[in-house]
Amino acid sequence: MIPKDLRYHQEHEWVRVSGTQATVGISHFAQDALGDIVFIDLPKFGAVVKAGQQIGEVESTKTTSTIYTPVSGTISKINSDLKDHPEVVNSDPYGKGWMVVIDLSSTNEVEKLMTAAEYEAFLASQKKG
Amino acid sequence: MPAQKHIAILGAGPGGYVAAIRAAQLGASVTVIESHALGGVCLNWGCIPSKALLSVVELGDKVKKSEDLGLLVPGPVTYDLARMIARKNKVVATLVKGIATLFKAWNIEHVQGTGSLRDRRTVTVSGDGGMRDIQADAIVIATGSSWPNLSQFPIDGTQVLTSQHLLDLDIIPASLLIVGGGVEGCEFAALYSGLGTVVTIIELMPRVLPLEDEEISSTMGRELKKRGVTVLTGTTVDRLERSSSTITVHLKEGGEIAAEKLLVSVGRGLNSHGIGLERVGVRMGQRGEILVNERMETTVPGVYAIGDVVGKVMLAHVASAQGKVAVENIMGLEASVRYDVIPAGIFTLPEIGRVGLTEQQARKRGEAVGQNPDVAVKVGRFRYAGVGKAQATGDTTGFFKVIAESSSGKILGVHIVGAHAADLVHEAAMAMQIGATVTEMAEMIHAHPTLAEGLMEAAEDVEEKAIHQVRNRI
Repeated sequence: MIPKDLRYHQEHEWVRVSGTQATVGISHFAQDALGDIVFIDLPKFGAVVKAGQQIGEVESTKTTSTIYTPVSGTISKINSDLKDHPEVVNSDPYGKGWMVVIDLSSTNEVEKLMTAAEYEAFLASQKKG
Repeated sequence: MPAQKHIAILGAGPGGYVAAIRAAQLGASVTVIESHALGGVCLNWGCIPSKALLSVVELGDKVKKSEDLGLLVPGPVTYDLARMIARKNKVVATLVKGIATLFKAWNIEHVQGTGSLRDRRTVTVSGDGGMRDIQADAIVIATGSSWPNLSQFPIDGTQVLTSQHLLDLDIIPASLLIVGGGVEGCEFAALYSGLGTVVTIIELMPRVLPLEDEEISSTMGRELKKRGVTVLTGTTVDRLERSSSTITVHLKEGGEIAAEKLLVSVGRGLNSHGIGLERVGVRMGQRGEILVNERMETTVPGVYAIGDVVGKVMLAHVASAQGKVAVENIMGLEASVRYDVIPAGIFTLPEIGRVGLTEQQARKRGEAVGQNPDVAVKVGRFRYAGVGKAQATGDTTGFFKVIAESSSGKILGVHIVGAHAADLVHEAAMAMQIGATVTEMAEMIHAHPTLAEGLMEAAEDVEEKAIHQVRNRI
C-alpha cells in the first residue's frame, strides 16, 4: 500500500511530482488511522504555501488532523470533489483522494522527502516506538 | 412589625424582573420602571427570539438528512420566514405575559416609562402619563446594554442592521455580511446559512469565538465552513460603500465583499447615561459600567446595580443571579454572586456549552504559580461519535472536553460542542459548584443510552480510562 513512485513526508502526506507541479494527498496509513473521513478543509486557490506549513484539516468520526504541505509553492488546483465526497480519501488515498496541486517554487525540496522504502521503514520504526 | 420596605427597580429585563419577584417574595413592596417591554432584550430581542428561529433551522437541517434515516419527505426544504417570525412573536408574547402574570400575583407595580434618579431615594419617571416621582427605600438599576452604535457602521435598519433587525426580517436576504465572529455573529451565521443566505463573517481575531477554548472555536470555524459560511479571520473592515441594493465592505487587508445586508455584531454599549447617576454620585468605570461591590451595591448606599450595566459578565442568567443577590441584601440577608461557575450556551449549529476555564486559561493559571502546565493540567476528551445515543439519533458531530487540576482532581472547566451541549454542561457546573473531583464525576453512574455518557467518558479520559475510546496516536 505504499506506491513506489511517490515521495512521503513524516506527517503522512504524499507527493507526486510531474515537471514543476506536485500533487499532494495523505497516505493509506494516515487514512486508516483517521478512520471514516467526514470533512476536508483545503486551502484557497492561489494561496502561497511553505513546506511544513499547515494547509488544511481532515476531520474523521474519530479525530481531527492537520494537513501539512511537504513542499513550497502556489496552490494551482484543489480537489473540489472532496467537498461532497470526503470518503474518497479512505477508499482511494493515492488516486481520486488527491487533495491539492502545488506549482513548485523549487524542485529541490522533493529530494528531501522520503522514498517509498524510507517511508516503509519509518512506519515500521513508529510502530516499535 | 417594621414598615414594609419599598424597592424601585429601573428595568424589567432578566435582571430587573427576577429581582422584583425575589424582593416581593421577601416581603418588599416593589415598583418596576420599564420603557419598553417586560423581559428586556433577552426575551424580546435576544435569547428567546433567536432560539425560536434557530430551532426551525435545526429541524430543517434534520429533514434535509431525513432520507438517510429512512424518513421520506417529498420535495426540498423551504422556509417561510414571515411565518417563522410570526410564531417567534407568539412565543415572546406568551413569555412576556407570563412575567405580567407573575408581577400581578406578587403585587408588583409596573410603571411604563423612562426612569432617572432625582436623588438617592427618588426616581422620576417620564412616560405617556407625564412625570411622576417614586420614593423608595432602595433603588436597583438594571438598565442593561444597547445595540452597537459605532460611527464606522451607521445603523439604518435596512442595509446596516443590528441583531434586533435581523430577528424581524420577513424576506430571507440573498447575502449577509456579519462583522464580528463572536457569540452573536456565529449564532446568526448558523441561522441565516440554514435559511439559504450566503453568509460571510469578518472577524478581527485569528479565530471565531475568540474567548472560547481553542479546540471549541476551531471546531466552530470548521462547522461554519461546512454550512457554507465564508469565515475571514484576522480581517478588519476599512470602509463601507453603499448603493441602493448592495453594501460593499472594503477590507484593510485588501479586497472587498458585497452583500445585501450587513449585521454589526461588535461593541455593545452600557445604558448608564441619562439616568441621573452623576447627579446622585454613583461612580462608573471607563466603559460607563456602574461600579459595584460583591453585594451589588454601588458607591451610593441604598443604590444597587445589576446585569449588563455593571459590565461584569453580560449574560441574562448572571443578571438574574445578581438581581436576587441585590434584593436579598436590601432585605437584610447576606448574599454574593459566585463568578467562578457560570455555565453558558452558544446557540450555533451544533450548539456549545461551557463552564469554567478554557484549557489555555487553565495552563496560564498553572504557569502563573510556577507550575509546568503540561503536568499541572490534565485534559480528557470524548467524541459524540463514540456515544451510542448520538449514533442512534444521528447527532454524531462534536465532542466533550474536561479540564482538571492534576494535583487535586478538581474540575477547572468543561466545554462541549454538539447536540444539547448547553443543557449537558450543567452536570459539570453542578460538580464544580459543590467541588466534586473529576473522578467523582467519572464514577457517578450515567444512564444508558444518553448523551450525558459522553461527559462521563471525557471525565474518565482525563485518567486515560475512557471505555469506548482508544487514545489517538496520530
